[in-house]
Amino acid sequence: MKIHRLVLAACASILAACSNVAVVEHGDALVSDRLSVQIDQPWNRFENSAAGPIPTWTREGFTVDALQFFVAVKDGKPIAPARDKAKPMIFRDGMQAHEIVSLFENFYTQDGSTFRLDRLAPDSFLDGDGFRFEFTRLRKRDDVRLSGVGWAAVSGGELTAIVFTAPRIHFFGAEIGEVERLAGSARLR
Amino acid sequence: MIDRRGLLSFGCAQCAVLAGGKAFAQAAEWLAPPRFQRPPLDTDEGGLWAFMDREEKRLRRSPFRMGDKALRDYLQGIACRLGADHCPDIRVYALRTPWFNASMAPNGMMQVWSGLMLRVDNEAQLASVIGHEIGHYLQRHAVERLRDAHSRSAFGMVLNIALGGVGALAQLALLAGQFGFTRDQEREADRIGVILMSKAGYDPHEAARVWANLRAEAMASGEDPAKRSVLFATHPDSGEREKTLAELASGRTGETGLEAWRTRIDPHLLMLLEDELHRGQFAETLVLLERLIGRDGENGRLLFARGEAYRLRAGEGDVGQAIANLEKAATLADAPAVVHRSLGLALQGEGAGERAVQAYRRYIELSPEGPDVEMIKTYIQGLQRS
Repeated sequence: MKIHRLVLAACASILAACSNVAVVEHGDALVSDRLSVQIDQPWNRFENSAAGPIPTWTREGFTVDALQFFVAVKDGKPIAPARDKAKPMIFRDGMQAHEIVSLFENFYTQDGSTFRLDRLAPDSFLDGDGFRFEFTRLRKRDDVRLSGVGWAAVSGGELTAIVFTAPRIHFFGAEIGEVERLAGSARLR
Repeated sequence: MIDRRGLLSFGCAQCAVLAGGKAFAQAAEWLAPPRFQRPPLDTDEGGLWAFMDREEKRLRRSPFRMGDKALRDYLQGIACRLGADHCPDIRVYALRTPWFNASMAPNGMMQVWSGLMLRVDNEAQLASVIGHEIGHYLQRHAVERLRDAHSRSAFGMVLNIALGGVGALAQLALLAGQFGFTRDQEREADRIGVILMSKAGYDPHEAARVWANLRAEAMASGEDPAKRSVLFATHPDSGEREKTLAELASGRTGETGLEAWRTRIDPHLLMLLEDELHRGQFAETLVLLERLIGRDGENGRLLFARGEAYRLRAGEGDVGQAIANLEKAATLADAPAVVHRSLGLALQGEGAGERAVQAYRRYIELSPEGPDVEMIKTYIQGLQRS
């Protein structure tokens, strides 16, 4: 009986991972009903799947390149579910850029991965004042070194961020130009 | 090789010292087996070794492996001191992973995680965990578990089919299940660990202290550490372990190796503390830091970490504690430059703009090429405008 349950659980996980995939065609796209972006080339979109509850787009598979959207997170709400009994990654209106980056640092290290901040500077995002952060993540599960870049801004007390990660070798460099254009086109509705 | 050089036994003189120590007298009857030969590849044990050899190859190249040769040699030295004749077959890998864990595979590959290294107070405590793992190895518990798990092997085949080309994942899942040792095996490994410690000249009382320390941390989050740790998920209740280990150590003495351990871990302390903060389990971290500060005194890195734990937890009264710790850390020579940035953030959050500006300026002064200097400058401008 135990074996049957485990096999069923494995199959359910596999199906769950596949069930919410859709192609996002080029042109205008709307994420979580609030964030509009313009895209040059199609992406594969995962939502509420093995990629996690964060809307995630990918070209090569979300374990390779992952473009993640944290849309209109309200004051007092977590940017993502915390693992185990770790402190929830709660956004507070009034946080400084460093404190917001700390939330993402926690998000990307809760599996034992490492996170090194490479750059944090003011930048335009959502057609207003925001910031851009760049980082290196050493992913625990497969020892892959990922480069990451994120843009974030707080608008009307809500935090919105787009974060892209991909292996430093090849994938990040191949896609970063397009990701920068996409982030530059982001607008909140 | 069936010689008896590897036998670990205690002479009558030692038994006399143990008069009244019934538990240890029983423990002393244990004899270490001779060195193991590599099993043939077409056996279940040979397959297990081959699988672990592949894992070890990956581990050798892993960027999470702590590359400090002095630390590696030191850990290997402890394992050799404990493992005696088995020393040539044991290979210790220090891994940067912030949880309390160590493990040993049947092929002699041992992993020691950095979260464990942050938590042990001295060399003897580290030796108690390494000795415990060598106990599993010498008793070949993993192989016992493999042979107890025929039904899981059948499950593994099913999983392999279901997952197609990701057979390794299935093997890992299967092995993970198999490496959950039984409680009796854990008790046996505890007992052997204490014997090995004592034989090697370590104070075996330190074994129980590892558990007392872990339990104090876990109580901060309201759980038994045996249920929290990856390593001890199947271990006996922590209270029972402490008691048993203390009984086994009764009447024995030895060295703790406090200074040797401090010297070896000190170059890594800041990194281990930063990784600890990433766990986001600040109640436990604060208990740990209280202990480390009690042991080592107030230094810039420990006070920085305690300040950060309060600042990041941001509960009631935490910001005040954060500022107090960070301000004190900022006066100490070994504090990292980022202590001033953290202090600035905490002060800014409290509306102490002028003091925040001073802290930010100090950060820029100490770290002019810092990756976030542009951002810090905007904070200063914003505070000066307001």
